[in-house]
Amino acid sequence: MTLLVIDKVSKHFGSLVAVSDATLDIGEKEIVGLIGPNGSGKSTLLHAICGRTFATSGSIYLNGSDVTALSPQQRAKLGMAIKFQLARIYLEKTVRENILISLQAGESIWSQLRSKSLKDFQKKIIEIADEFQLSEQLDQLAKSLSHGQQQWLEIAMAMAVDPALLLLDEPTAGMSPKERADTAILIKKAAQRCGVLIVEHDLDFIKELCNRISVLHQGRIVATGTPREIESSPAVKEVYLTRV
Amino acid sequence: MAGNDYLTQVITRILIYGILVLSVEMCWGQTGIFTFGQAALFGLGGYVIGLVSKHMSVPDLGILMLIAIAVGTLAGFIIAIFLFSGKRVGELYVALVTLAISYICERLANSWTVLGSGNGIPGIPYPTIFGHEISTSAGLFFLAFSFFATALMLCIYIVNSQFGLTMNAVRDDEERAEFFGYKRSAVQIVIFVFAAILASVGGALFAMTEGFVSPSMSGLALSTTTVLWVVLGGRGTFFGPLLALAVLQVVNIEMQNALPSLWPILVGSLLLLTMIFLPKGLTSIPSKIREKRAKRIYT
Repeated sequence: MTLLVIDKVSKHFGSLVAVSDATLDIGEKEIVGLIGPNGSGKSTLLHAICGRTFATSGSIYLNGSDVTALSPQQRAKLGMAIKFQLARIYLEKTVRENILISLQAGESIWSQLRSKSLKDFQKKIIEIADEFQLSEQLDQLAKSLSHGQQQWLEIAMAMAVDPALLLLDEPTAGMSPKERADTAILIKKAAQRCGVLIVEHDLDFIKELCNRISVLHQGRIVATGTPREIESSPAVKEVYLTRV
Repeated sequence: MAGNDYLTQVITRILIYGILVLSVEMCWGQTGIFTFGQAALFGLGGYVIGLVSKHMSVPDLGILMLIAIAVGTLAGFIIAIFLFSGKRVGELYVALVTLAISYICERLANSWTVLGSGNGIPGIPYPTIFGHEISTSAGLFFLAFSFFATALMLCIYIVNSQFGLTMNAVRDDEERAEFFGYKRSAVQIVIFVFAAILASVGGALFAMTEGFVSPSMSGLALSTTTVLWVVLGGRGTFFGPLLALAVLQVVNIEMQNALPSLWPILVGSLLLLTMIFLPKGLTSIPSKIREKRAKRIYT
């Protein structure tokens, strides 16, 4: 079943067309990659999907619901989670608190005031930290984590709420080769529970991971296919691969 | 004030201002709502209770406090809806709007004859509990202390609850919090209303214990001074700002006599230096020293 449908989405900033008639879909438990050179509109399209900006035209459906005009908070409630390019975690809070922040987001204020679910969440926090190799850092401040661990923490926070769709914006930016390999394993594991859209620069990383890849160039999706199809596509080679 | 014990009076006033400090700390220190409007709400509570107590002859503490809570809730809710119900607004926008509210309230109190204009409302009767008047310095101190202690415990409870973590999440990155699914506006509205109740109750206590209210208690000077206590003591803690309030109140009395013209400049300079070199306030000095020592050991 199709999880996310992006139907002819365009985004204009005045006379500048950042994204034009982008059409894309993601199935349940599918990993789809979105690649393109700098300025191709990847981030703008991702922002339109997550609600950071609104599409000028076109529609976005999540699990059949039209989310085009919904706020990020409403999209999160429908099962959309995101990891930003630069990890946006709470640096002055511990790993445990960071995961708790994500877990309790759906709780009412009254329930939070009574700390009603704190005990129940502790078990889940340990499970998540374990899954993302952060169990030894549970009570450390997030700012003391390495760059790679901070990225994992943000993915862990996104995955903690069992989202239907996980959006990853350049999840391996600035990582060491070992951290990149570990991240790939974590993303594969995540995809056993939800659909994943990865916006990436690095074709080598993405081709090992994705079921399908879409290539964006000058705001338009110029090709969609399996990693092998994308690698051998003359159009893609011309507009993207030769420019990286 | 009826009592002669000057020190008790000073401490009583510190406790009442302490409630105002808690109000700013909950908004700004814990939730990132940079408010300059708490004095307006403090003044509102004071004036309403002054008018009701004096002109309607209702001195009962319970009734007066219920009125103060209702007034704080209503005023806080109206301001909070205006500030937070729409799109995200920056800290500066909130600061400017609340600053303007304080200014308007002070001007209104200065010019409206019902509120006593520049003279304020003098002769506000002492409060009563079950018909017994609380008029001694000790009695008024215990009254202020009990409200301050209750407010402090309530604030500590909230900050240590799961909701406290939510407040900090909104403070540190409100957009990120929205992407996790938090309704940012609801968090900000709830905290602003809670802080408004604290400020209003503080103002009511001020009116009851001092026996008068004046335009200055709702204006820019008190708003700015309260923020100054929080900045000096350290935003994000209760202990630091309360300590800064207590020390500055006591030192203020001495220095205003000893160095009347130089003292405000010294306080202003201290504030400036703190903001530049110690953004987490003076109470962060010990941890800064510890960090420097640790760096020296490891390098």
